[in-house]
Formats: sequence, C-alpha cells, structure tokens
Amino acid sequence: MFKMDRNIYQPVKCEVIDNIKESPNINTIVLKPEREFSFLAGQFASLTVPGIGEAPFTPSSSPFDKEKLEFTVMKVGRVTEKIHQLKKGDIVGVRGPYGKPYPLEEFKGKEILLVGGGVGLAPIRALFLALVETYKDYKKIVFCCGAKTPADYIYKDKLFGEWQNLCEKIPLSFRITVDRKDENWKYMEGVVTCTLDGLDIDVKNGVSVVCGPPIMMKFTTLKLLEIGFSENSIYLSMERKMYCGVGHCRHCLIGDLFVCKDGPVFKYSEIKDKPNIWV
Amino acid sequence: MEKLYIKTDDWQEFIKEKIKEKIIYAPFEENNLLFYQIVDEKNIEKIVYNRIRTVEPVKIFLFPFKERILPEINDLNEIIVMGVTSCDLKGLEILDKVYMEGEFKDPNYKKRKENLFVISFDCNEPYDSCFCWLVGVNPYPEKNFDLNLSLIEDGFIVEIGSQKGKEFIGNDRRFYNVNESQLKKMKEKREKVIEKVKEKNREFDFNKIENLKGMVEKEYWQRIKDIDNCVSCGSCNFNCPTCVCFLLEDISENGNFKKVKVYDACLFPGYARMASGATPRPTLYDRYANRILCKYWYMIENFKITGCTGCGRCISGCIGKIDKRKVITELLREKVNV
Repeated sequence: MFKMDRNIYQPVKCEVIDNIKESPNINTIVLKPEREFSFLAGQFASLTVPGIGEAPFTPSSSPFDKEKLEFTVMKVGRVTEKIHQLKKGDIVGVRGPYGKPYPLEEFKGKEILLVGGGVGLAPIRALFLALVETYKDYKKIVFCCGAKTPADYIYKDKLFGEWQNLCEKIPLSFRITVDRKDENWKYMEGVVTCTLDGLDIDVKNGVSVVCGPPIMMKFTTLKLLEIGFSENSIYLSMERKMYCGVGHCRHCLIGDLFVCKDGPVFKYSEIKDKPNIWV
Repeated sequence: MEKLYIKTDDWQEFIKEKIKEKIIYAPFEENNLLFYQIVDEKNIEKIVYNRIRTVEPVKIFLFPFKERILPEINDLNEIIVMGVTSCDLKGLEILDKVYMEGEFKDPNYKKRKENLFVISFDCNEPYDSCFCWLVGVNPYPEKNFDLNLSLIEDGFIVEIGSQKGKEFIGNDRRFYNVNESQLKKMKEKREKVIEKVKEKNREFDFNKIENLKGMVEKEYWQRIKDIDNCVSCGSCNFNCPTCVCFLLEDISENGNFKKVKVYDACLFPGYARMASGATPRPTLYDRYANRILCKYWYMIENFKITGCTGCGRCISGCIGKIDKRKVITELLREKVNV
C-alpha cells in the first residue's frame, strides 16, 4: 500500500465532514481521507491537528466502511479540545493503522461478550460493527454497556435504535446500565459490572472484550475472572501516553510491552504481572 | 581484521590532509573533560588520543536533541567522528536496533548512520564512573567501527573494521604492517586498562543482574536510600548513549505536515502522564525503577541486547550523586534477602 521509503510520520490528509456531539464531553468527528485508509477493528491511528499536536485514537467506524473514518473523542486535553472545535472542511492528518487488531479468527465459533464503559464504547463500536458483518462466524454476541448517566451515553441513536433492532435477526443481546438513572431510564442502574450478574454465556467457550476507564477495566476483569472466564479469554484495550506509534519513543511501555506495537489489545494473561497496569 | 601501524606524526599529517575535504570531529579537552569539536588546521595538534570517553555520547551525531523529522532532513553530509569509545559503539548497536532494524525505520537516523564514519579509540584512563567491564563490554572496540586506533608509545595500531575503512586508508605508504612486538604491547596495554576498570568497580556486584527481571514492586526500590536523592532532572537520560525516548511536536503550517522530534526523559514526572492526568508511574520510585528495568530487562526482551554500555555518564552526570552501580548492587542484595 505504501512505498517502503515513505516517511513513517507522514499522515494522510483528511477533510472533516462532520463533528457530531455525542454527550456533554464526547464528540465523533467524521473524516474523508484523501486516499483509502484501511484498518482492522482494535488497531489505532495517530490523529494530527495541524500546528496543535497529535494523539492516538482507535477509529470507531466500521472497518468495512472505506469511504469515511470516524473517531469518537472525549475532551480531556489540548489536542482533544481542538478536535471538538473542528469544523466541516477543516484538514487534519491521520497516520497508521498501528498495533494488533482483535483476533477475530480466534473468536470464530465462540460466544462473544463486549463490555464497554463511557468513551470506551468507541473501539468496541468498530469491533461490534465488524462482528455484525460476519455474525455467522460466532455463536452469539452479548453487548454490555455502561455510562455515568443517560446523557453521557454515546451513539444514543444507534444503541437505543437500530442496533437493538438487530437482535431480532442475529444472535445478539444487549445489557445496558447507567451509574445514576433519571426518570425516563428503562434499563439497568448500577456500574457496568452489574450487567455481568446472571449473564447467560458459556464462559468455557467464550471470549470477553473490555474497554473503558482504568477503574472500570480493573473491576470488570476481576468480575469476569470470578464468573469463570480464563485469563486468556479476556481482551483489554490499553491506553498509555504515546507519540510515535511505531515502537521507537518508548512512552507507551507497560513493563516490556509496547502498547503501540504489542497492543493496544492485550489478553489479561499477557499483562497481569506488569507494573501498574490499572492507572 | 587487518591491522596496520602508523607513527603519531604521520597520522596527524594524514588527518590534516583529510580535513581538506571531509568534516572530522575529534575529542578535545575543556575543563579537564573531553568534548567533540570539528578538527581544523589550528586545533589538530590538540586532539586527545590518550584518555577516555567524551562527555556527549556519539549518539548526538545520529539522534540530536531536537530535529525536524517530517519532512525528513535531506542535505546530510558524511561526517567522520574520531575518538568513539567501545561503550559508545555498543550504544550505537542498540540505537540501530531501535530505529533501523524493526518494521518502521526512523528516516533521519538511517540517513545519518549511513553517512557516519567511525574512527574509534581504545580507552586509556578510565573514569571512576566507568563500569563497562561489569556489563560485559571491554574498554577497547572490537566491532562496529570503520577504523580503530590503539595508542602504543609513539604510534597507533590501526585496525580496519570495514570496507569504507580500508578505502579511507587506501595505499597510503605511511601505514606499515604491524609486527608481533607492537601487537604484544597493545595486548598488554588493553589488559592493564581492564584491570583499572575492574579496580574501580571492586565493591560492586553485577553477577545475577538478570535477577532485576520482575522487580516491579515499589517496595524494593523504596528501601534503597540513594534513590531519594534523585531530583528528576533527566541528566542520566539525556547523557545516556542508549536512551532513545523522544516526543513529537507538531509544527504543521499552510497545509504541510511538519513534525519535530525532541529528547524526552522517563525520569520527568510528566513523561508518561496522559491527558486525563493519570500516569502509570506516579512516584519517583516507579520512574527510577522504570529507567533501570528498561536497561536491564525491557530492552533485552525488546531487542535481545542489554540497554547499558557501562559508560558511567548517568553516574558522573547525576546531580543527586547517585551511583547506579551501588543502587543495583543493593537491589540485587535486597532480592536475595526477601
């Protein structure tokens, strides 16, 4: 795809075609790359806001969508604040994809549990859309989601609409919760681990995929182990400070493992003995 | 490898001819320390051949403190660096593995490396901080140079390490075949220098250095009193021939993407801090442990090579006066006692 002598830091120019407000502090930017930008679910890319900076994000759009590229971004720092301010027609840069994707080959014939919390639903969305495209390969998909309040949910239109409609056609179910409900909420109340109580899933033939804030990942992992998932069947999306994305700058190391090269998706068994995994 | 002999005066003349067409750096003394400077007709007599490593590692010629990385720098000339020591050559071996030998190649580094001609020197007068021998490096270069100079009395034994090195000498008549007695002198001198390094490291124990693997619990590190003297200045990082960490600054303008690469130091509290404010290494002990473990554990896992060359710059440059050898010796003892 690329010429081998291409500068590894050269981004693909992308035009902003939409900037959608998902929740009070989370937006999804929709980009049209100047040339095709392919990725697999779980891989990430570095997004440059020209003159401001660069940060790594996992695309939240379907890997099968070759026309556009979406990133769902929470406003937390300098670069993400600028991303929230981007307008239609603005130009940004994207380089990648980097890292290892979710091993969909290994998921074949299995029951798949997706657990996403807050903005952690973003990478899970790309995976979910890829799984839906190839749903016949898996026994079933259970999608557990959590957010602080109903207003904090991202992808509201899809999650409370067309995605749930899919349940009638394919072996898919949802378990949806918020930490604090409001008067209109008709799903569960409690932190995301409560969606794992009484779960109908074959843990011996199942894999679980977790993405969310560190505290959520920690307690979800502990709960998954408790209900019988093996350390090898829990996949975690790890986040670290990152610059190069290619295993040079060493900022993203978890012990001896590069989040950019060896991850960002790790089996719990791979990282459990590394220092300070739950930041 | 082929070895020749040249008299000191002849070598100086030889270099004087070379500087007419090439840029040559060599070690010069300043305040009793050695720094690289460009050789010219005026300073050529002051090149220091009989000492030890320079203050800056040779890394600075390949991975400078700050440089544009996108678009990459194209107008790079060949440079010749004299006086590179064995420890720094080991450093280049590590840098090559990081920046050049993986799937992704650092554009500037690769070009700079291709344009670098190395004339290394045997070490003569080790510093108190030198500990190459403790990490399996000898105080004289054995590979990865184009030419190596071993000073013996009134001349040098010149070892040719590459085709480029051979061409550099060409058929110059000032180089003679080396004789047995000269080789013997070189060997004796090298052994003497090894003894000096050993003597300076008598009280330190790096046997079982592999036991550092897995020492991630903070408790081990908190027991080492000297670590409390670290002020997180990053001097050990910036002076290290094998520290490869950098950050990227975006300076894109007018629709053109531009990036600058700048050194970063894992001892800075903000090094691994994410935008949310969370960091996986919140305490000094986490950061100090990371630096040591990176050298003696992580780099071995990543690149099959120890990330320390024993140059001692992290010791001589430490404003907290922390001697890493003492820290490691105590840590390894701690591990046995736990």
